[in-house]
Amino acid sequence: MALLKRFDPPAFFTDFDDIRGQREAWHEYVSHAFDEAIASERPKLRAGETVQFYNPAKDDHGAGIDMAITWNAFPKELLRAYGRARALVIADRDRSVLTEYCEWHVERDPETGAIVRVTFTSEPPEYWEAMYGGPLAYDQAGKKTVKFPGSPREVLRRYQELVSPHVQAHDLLADGTYDPLNKWNSTHGIMHLSASPNSLTAEIQLGADATIAYRNARGEVLVEPEPLICCAAFGGTDRNSDPTIGATVNALARLGAMITLANPVGLYMDHIDLTGWSAPKGVEIEDCVRVVRGDARKRMIERLVVEVPRKSAFTVSDLTIAGAPVAFGGQIAECITVKLVGTASALGSVNNAPSACGSRCCVDPAHFVALGEPIPNDTPAPAGTVVAFALEGGEPAPHDVARAAGAGHLGALRGHRLASRERIV
Amino acid sequence: MTHPAVALSAAPVEPVLELDDIQGIAVPGFFKPHQTLLGLRVPVGANAAGNFKALVRALAVEVTDGRRTLLDRRSYRDERHKTQTRHRIESDVVLVALAFSNGGLLQLTPGAAAIDSEAFQLGMAARSKFLGDPADPHAEGHPSRWVVGGTGAELDALLIVAGDHRDTVTARADVLAHAVAAHEIELAYREDGDVREDPDRGHEHFGFDDGVSQPGIRGRGSDAPNDFITSRRVAPTEIPASWLFGYPGQDLVWPGEFVLGYPATSPDPLMPGPPSRSVPHWTRNGSFLVFRRLRQDVGLFWRTMRELAASLTERPGFTGLTADALAARLVGRWHSGAPFNRTPGGDVPELGGDRHANNYFTFDADTPPVVRVNGTPDPFPALMAKADPAGITCPWAAHIRKVNTRDAGSDMGARDSTYARRLLRVGITFGKSLADRFAHLKDDPDKGNRGLMFLSIQSSIEDQFEFLSARWINDDARPKAGGHDMLVGQNAATPDGVRRCTLFGAGLQEERVTADRQWVIPTGGGYFFVPSMSALREVLAR
Repeated sequence: MALLKRFDPPAFFTDFDDIRGQREAWHEYVSHAFDEAIASERPKLRAGETVQFYNPAKDDHGAGIDMAITWNAFPKELLRAYGRARALVIADRDRSVLTEYCEWHVERDPETGAIVRVTFTSEPPEYWEAMYGGPLAYDQAGKKTVKFPGSPREVLRRYQELVSPHVQAHDLLADGTYDPLNKWNSTHGIMHLSASPNSLTAEIQLGADATIAYRNARGEVLVEPEPLICCAAFGGTDRNSDPTIGATVNALARLGAMITLANPVGLYMDHIDLTGWSAPKGVEIEDCVRVVRGDARKRMIERLVVEVPRKSAFTVSDLTIAGAPVAFGGQIAECITVKLVGTASALGSVNNAPSACGSRCCVDPAHFVALGEPIPNDTPAPAGTVVAFALEGGEPAPHDVARAAGAGHLGALRGHRLASRERIV
Repeated sequence: MTHPAVALSAAPVEPVLELDDIQGIAVPGFFKPHQTLLGLRVPVGANAAGNFKALVRALAVEVTDGRRTLLDRRSYRDERHKTQTRHRIESDVVLVALAFSNGGLLQLTPGAAAIDSEAFQLGMAARSKFLGDPADPHAEGHPSRWVVGGTGAELDALLIVAGDHRDTVTARADVLAHAVAAHEIELAYREDGDVREDPDRGHEHFGFDDGVSQPGIRGRGSDAPNDFITSRRVAPTEIPASWLFGYPGQDLVWPGEFVLGYPATSPDPLMPGPPSRSVPHWTRNGSFLVFRRLRQDVGLFWRTMRELAASLTERPGFTGLTADALAARLVGRWHSGAPFNRTPGGDVPELGGDRHANNYFTFDADTPPVVRVNGTPDPFPALMAKADPAGITCPWAAHIRKVNTRDAGSDMGARDSTYARRLLRVGITFGKSLADRFAHLKDDPDKGNRGLMFLSIQSSIEDQFEFLSARWINDDARPKAGGHDMLVGQNAATPDGVRRCTLFGAGLQEERVTADRQWVIPTGGGYFFVPSMSALREVLAR
């Protein structure tokens, strides 16, 4: 496989085509983001070891296997915290909790409360920031930037076309620059992803982070998605997406592969599963779902609208899924699969030694539904918590073990861990 | 994995299950070679509700609890160990279970309306489109054409009679049918299910050993520390394997996934999560039962395998591919039950028949060696599964990968997402074996009337049976991208009526396999609730 000549915009969008220098800047931006992520992995390896994440525009590792990594759009963090009934309510009200790289906006009839439209997006915020123009950071610290020519006029036109004809140019700004959380991409509508974890650079960084193999205190290599993410802290532990992305990439890395993300790098809705959907007589379900941006045939959907055709007297609330009326946008999200596509090449070409875990998940054993944020091993576990996956990856720090006495089998588990550490170290 | 310094007493403390109150079909499950299903409908009439209640009162004493079922199971195991046979030679034990649909329960107690399950309330026929069944009313799988439980003909109750011999099961079913008639309740359905005769005993009609991946139930039958309902067959020194598995590779799942009111899955398999919800209170110790009558078109399946294999074998990387090898890839196991990724080169019947080895494999990493409870290692050390995260050896669309992702993540996240989908399968085959597996329907003396009476126990129809059917089996990108379940998937669930999946050749060549017809056709079923023994007596029969 030859070197990639140019990173294309997500879904091969053509919005940039009429902005001089925009596509070149996008290539430069994505390429820099790859290089930055690769550089961030180097300190985690030993001398002479190879970073297994690569920039396909700069390195050629031969033909590879493209592997779509898929996950469900409805946020698992909400399901774990609240159960489905409450999660459906919360998800429709607060975009910041939609952390599965897919967000949606529900429009209701103000008089009846019926859902008239639900719009989903997986477009990264960086794409729209770039289209507006100006410097855009590609590093975690926000200091290294690529300057985009941009076109504020084109952005406004797109907002007016896709979100609302009432959008004004100043609505999109904060302190004179494009505001990704402007009201037409938050309270009044949706254009692109806005929740803090949902970005293209986060995707690239996660891909890179996940190429590092880890071992537990007994020297066993971590495999399972959640013990791995608790140990490596490369994303949200309670999500559908991050543990699965991380574990899938990590499994390929453990096979000694070189790994990258397929061009065009992006986050996509793979498809919407309409099985079990029903519409009132005279309405065809297929007419109620429109791919507005992206390519459904190539399974690179970026914007999707669910809406009963205007000529009908019915609304989205008259549709049913498995016999249940659609009362929340989240019910539709449950039918949407999100994805990214990784590429693995040169299997068996790398043999890095696994690293030691840097963190662990500490959980409430009396109400264990979620893992929460991984806690660095040099930080004591919060009071009342125990270490999850104590025999797999969660490596209790000595202060955890000292507090363990009298906690039933969990205390014994932690005691066992200490014994293991003593034998090995 | 061996840590001799660690005592077994440090294993997770598993709850004591109230086996005197749980029906035996739920825990530990009926796994008998002969079953008869009796489907009941309450006729419209002035005395119907009273008659139904009186019948339930009469039947309640016939129902077998979990304690008695477990004793029978253990006795069977002892006998099997002595005789080295898979079936009992002498036993007159007959086990009985009684379950109700939402319609049936509501006739016995209005409190049933509080059961928090949309699927149960609507019923299988109303949800069949979601399961991928055809929307065309002329199609065989449409609920208007089902032989049992179709639209407008939903059952109110289901009796399951199970035993070691056909004659004793039939005799007990006759007695129960007589009681049904005596109470003027309609016997709307009666059908026998029997395991196939040797050498296909335990194999479903396509020829594959069935139920090999059955999960184990965490829990004890008494306060005794080692009175586990699911036997532990991994050496205690193997930690965490001995705490994670019954037989090697047999996931131990917290009982709340199968019975209401007990701790369910948490993110860490060694730690319990909150209990499964039991509302109203009398649903505690109860379970949901899914019955789905699946006709299997054996001739179509094997003719298709033969045609596809013949086509693939012409392609680079697939030379010599046979119908059996292709089918094994699509199932994930060979006929004997031997896992494909332990022995990709061909079936090894000894491996398939060894319960200590036939379910021991992972997908995302090389499978580590394990010591069995008798101190011996896995007897097939040269056939340990190698890491296959991309589905190159065992395709991601293989049936066993579609319904159980094991150590790999899924579209729903990590391992607990798989544990929380597991079912206890307690069904059985029906119909006679097809002598020529390639035969066309016209040459089949039984006109294709054979298949599986699929029966499963779970605590959530939505999160377990329906999720597996609708979200994983029938979706080509879930739990991982790679295609549809080509074994049991439903074509009507796909946008263009075609199922497809990806296979890799010896040189990593990618080929697509497609099927525009399905060989597993739904022909009936229903969603039921299996109440506890006390709920039967004190709530439903009163």
